[in-house]
Amino acid sequence: MADHPANGLDDVVHQRVRLGIMAIAHQARQVEFGFLRTTLQLTAGNLGQHLTVLEKAELIQIEKGYEGKRPRTWVTLTAAGQVALRDEIAHLKQLIQQVEQAETPPTADR
Amino acid sequence: MTDEPVPHTDSPHEMLSAVRALTRRVRVAQRGTWFPLLVFATITLVAVPVYRYAPYLDVFGTCRSRPQHTVCMAPNPVELGYQTVALLLAYAAIAAFYVRQSRRRGVGTPIRPYVVVGVALAVLMTAVSIWLTFHPLLPQPADPFSTDPVQIEVGPATWLVNGLASPLAVIGLALLVLAWVERHWALLAYTLAYLVIGMVQGNQVIHSSSPWFFLPDLLVPAAVLLLGAAAFALFRPTAEARA
Repeated sequence: MADHPANGLDDVVHQRVRLGIMAIAHQARQVEFGFLRTTLQLTAGNLGQHLTVLEKAELIQIEKGYEGKRPRTWVTLTAAGQVALRDEIAHLKQLIQQVEQAETPPTADR
Repeated sequence: MTDEPVPHTDSPHEMLSAVRALTRRVRVAQRGTWFPLLVFATITLVAVPVYRYAPYLDVFGTCRSRPQHTVCMAPNPVELGYQTVALLLAYAAIAAFYVRQSRRRGVGTPIRPYVVVGVALAVLMTAVSIWLTFHPLLPQPADPFSTDPVQIEVGPATWLVNGLASPLAVIGLALLVLAWVERHWALLAYTLAYLVIGMVQGNQVIHSSSPWFFLPDLLVPAAVLLLGAAAFALFRPTAEARA
């Protein structure tokens, strides 16, 4: 029997906020902390915790610096992060497909 | 930013929808479509005095002289020089604008492919224009001093090569790349309309002895670009305007 797509889900990535961070970082190439906080509507502390989880898993890279006098934190998706995001989306699509197939009533064969 | 919250659900369907919604939001925040159009409208308008008042520099040796009479078989090389430099400066300004906007909004910019294609097309335009000076696709009169009107038949290949060597085509084709990197359907539709206008205009031969005969070739695309810049600036989504 084929492995269920749910088994392929990575617990680090399969979380609403972290998946959001990775999706934004993928499209933006590089995204600033403030943009993530506003877009995902999180507190700085909450966002910081999710970023730490992703950074420890080596899925994102965090760079801190200054623009003028303002401190800025930039987040970039690593190569492993790109793969993890792609895999997560593929598994989500497979799950949806399985659920939809299961919901389709079987044809009567009597 | 939009005020629409990210869905607080964890079903696969809703997580995928959230990913798509976030991707769309980032794309909107990355856009700055009005600026390239404004820059290209400006360089097209500045070309008017250059075309009218720049002295003819015969750097390619295409002019033939008789006493009190000089005929040049190619457009003024100053015009080509202006268009090349102006296009390269325009792409530098556009790149700088997008990088600055990216820092201000806090999202990276996908502008590199657009700028690379734009610069490559500008260089190609210059190379093809110089090549066409020495290998004209249109038949040249045997006597360059003849004043008899010549009926010229332009085939589609000739028309296409000449068209591709124009600044209008360089701007339009690169805008197609911008529409792709910004996933911007309105820009794609606008660019196709701009290219069609350019193609229709390129088919028209202006018979005039006026020193301003070139005006429609510059004013029509400049007006289209200015209108596009104004429309994209006015109708940009609130997320883009506020970011």
